[in-house]
Amino acid sequence: MALGKHSQAMHFQARAGEKIRNPVLQAALQKARPLFVGKRVKGIASLAEDALDFEQLRTAAKNIRNRTLADLDVWLDIFEARATASGAEVLWARDGAEVSRLVVDIARRHGVTKVAKSKSMLSEEAHLNEALAEAGIRPVETDLGEYIVQLAGETPSHIIAPAVHKTIAEVEALFAKEHGRPLETRTSADIPAMAREARAVLRQHFLSAEMGISGANFLIAETGSAALVTNEGNGRMVTTLPKIHVVITGIEKIVPTLEDLATLMRLLPRSATGQSISNYVSLLTGTKRKGDQDGPEKTVFILVDNGRANLLGSDYQDMLRCIRCGACMNHCPVYFSLGGHAYGWVYPGPMGSVLTPLYTGLENALDLPHASTGCNQCGSVCPVAIPLPDLMHRLREEQHERGLRPWSERLALKAWAWIAGKPALYRWLARRVVRYLNWLADGSGRIRILGLAPAWTAGRDLPVSSSRTFHELYSARKKP
Amino acid sequence: MSARDEILGRVRQGIGKADFAVRRAAAVAALNSPMRGPQPSMKADLVARFRAKAEYLSNTVAAVPGLDKAPAAVAAYLAASGLSGEAVATADVASLAWASAGLQVEARPAVDADKTGISSCFCAIAETGTLMLLSGPDSPATVSLLPETHIALLEVSRIVATMEDAFALLRAERGSLPRAVNFISGPSRTGDIEQTIVLGAHGPCRVHLILIGELS
Ligand code: SF4
Repeated sequence: MALGKHSQAMHFQARAGEKIRNPVLQAALQKARPLFVGKRVKGIASLAEDALDFEQLRTAAKNIRNRTLADLDVWLDIFEARATASGAEVLWARDGAEVSRLVVDIARRHGVTKVAKSKSMLSEEAHLNEALAEAGIRPVETDLGEYIVQLAGETPSHIIAPAVHKTIAEVEALFAKEHGRPLETRTSADIPAMAREARAVLRQHFLSAEMGISGANFLIAETGSAALVTNEGNGRMVTTLPKIHVVITGIEKIVPTLEDLATLMRLLPRSATGQSISNYVSLLTGTKRKGDQDGPEKTVFILVDNGRANLLGSDYQDMLRCIRCGACMNHCPVYFSLGGHAYGWVYPGPMGSVLTPLYTGLENALDLPHASTGCNQCGSVCPVAIPLPDLMHRLREEQHERGLRPWSERLALKAWAWIAGKPALYRWLARRVVRYLNWLADGSGRIRILGLAPAWTAGRDLPVSSSRTFHELYSARKKP
Repeated sequence: MSARDEILGRVRQGIGKADFAVRRAAAVAALNSPMRGPQPSMKADLVARFRAKAEYLSNTVAAVPGLDKAPAAVAAYLAASGLSGEAVATADVASLAWASAGLQVEARPAVDADKTGISSCFCAIAETGTLMLLSGPDSPATVSLLPETHIALLEVSRIVATMEDAFALLRAERGSLPRAVNFISGPSRTGDIEQTIVLGAHGPCRVHLILIGELS
């Protein structure tokens, strides 16, 4: 897999400290968190209006996804046959590099100079924008959040709110520079005007791009269609105006029927933004038909593996149910302390902590499976009931099994196991350790720097335990 | 080995099943009798439900008793909103008496300069207040997309309960899918600058619905 070179996931701890000390980022995150949580609460509550039950719905959604994964080869084959019959072309890519090769090749053959892109996380996996730019083709991100992030030369920090880490002042600076106008002082009252400004600029890109690229929220096997869900309408633009439309999506995104799509659509927007439905849900099938006056002349699906097939039949197959709603990160205390960039690769939050090690190699993301407080908020909101904390736990176990944890940690655990088997020694040592910790705290009850594990206290204090060991306290209790 | 064969091989190995042909035949058979998930239970008055949900989604709504009254209702809306009487329309509604309502309406795909687009709807969904539009020679998708104002004409008899019902209608009346099925739920919006919702991102800033037919 040609991913390791771009993944920054190994630097999670270093980045975490840096993110916690960044006041601008912290302000942006603290503002967003209650909004995300509150919107989902309202969205889920609205199900009760129609006597729908979240648990019942998510069991149905989980079953749809499980049923598809259980015969994924069959559904892919049916999808391919039906998409081809409707006039689309279906290509396959083993990894990100192959995605880039295929797209650049199509673009070259059709003399494409500019590509208008709707949000596609897979194109981030593939580093497609870099590949296009190297080939002299200009990629323009058109989702407003992605556009902001692209102007900043960054990557998205959230899968549905890519620019959640940016403040209005930062956006204003980017717009003034890119749009060639003087910098102004902006308040939240100016946000509509800023959105209008971006609309006017991006409209010209939609009209002039020869190729549109989108992801797909789902592929429908029954009809050979891509289902695309957006609020801004950029998904409709890039699949309607340019003469070529390329859909880049993971092989796991299939659902069998339109009915299955309807069930999932009761959960996806509610989980993501709290909406009962997103503004635009488009089903795209084939190309411009006979007599049609608009629409692309050529539609190409690129079905991408990039590590997905390996999860089938593994302990991690459940992760392939993910519908990319973002609820797990919106409810994650770790995500909201650090923001998405700390995770170092395409997917942040709990789903990223599972996917990044699986897609880029366990040895390239050693800290991510530990980026958890074990609170299971992610697991309880996930609309397809992925047991995220369990999967992270399994990854931690695998790190140990494969000897991937640092030698100091492995040695410490081995030593602990040896000592714990010798009660007298354990009691003697525990007394010494407790006295040492209290000495470090110097009577304050808090330890700011832990001598043997300084990294652990870099972003937090360790509250000191009782000045006596558990055994001492227990013995004292027994003798009233 | 081709990428396709390699990927499908890996998939097959992962799921650990042989008998591809048998499983494929079973899957195709299952597609012929699609099963619905948990269904919402809604009050019987679908038109009232649709209207309430559509308004909640920031659509504006007017109602007229018959299709022949639609041009006057459109003209009234445009005048009240301070918008010009020029519009582009899908061909399937172009034959209405627009000129006698004082409007200049052209039947063609929309271009960037068009300010108002008038379209028909295939049907609409009461559960969420959503319109369902199909692309086709008489209903280019750009009309509901490029202009800042989208006006949709909707026969109330075409309001169904759920997205599943809309798909059932599509299968019954058309058999197959057009190039684009667009479900539209209000004006386009973005929350990408500091999570503040703004109407009018890339698609229309205003969506006005004209409900046509006897209201219960
Ligand atoms: S893991 Fe679950 S909650 Fe997280 S993005 Fe995927 S579907 Fe949503």
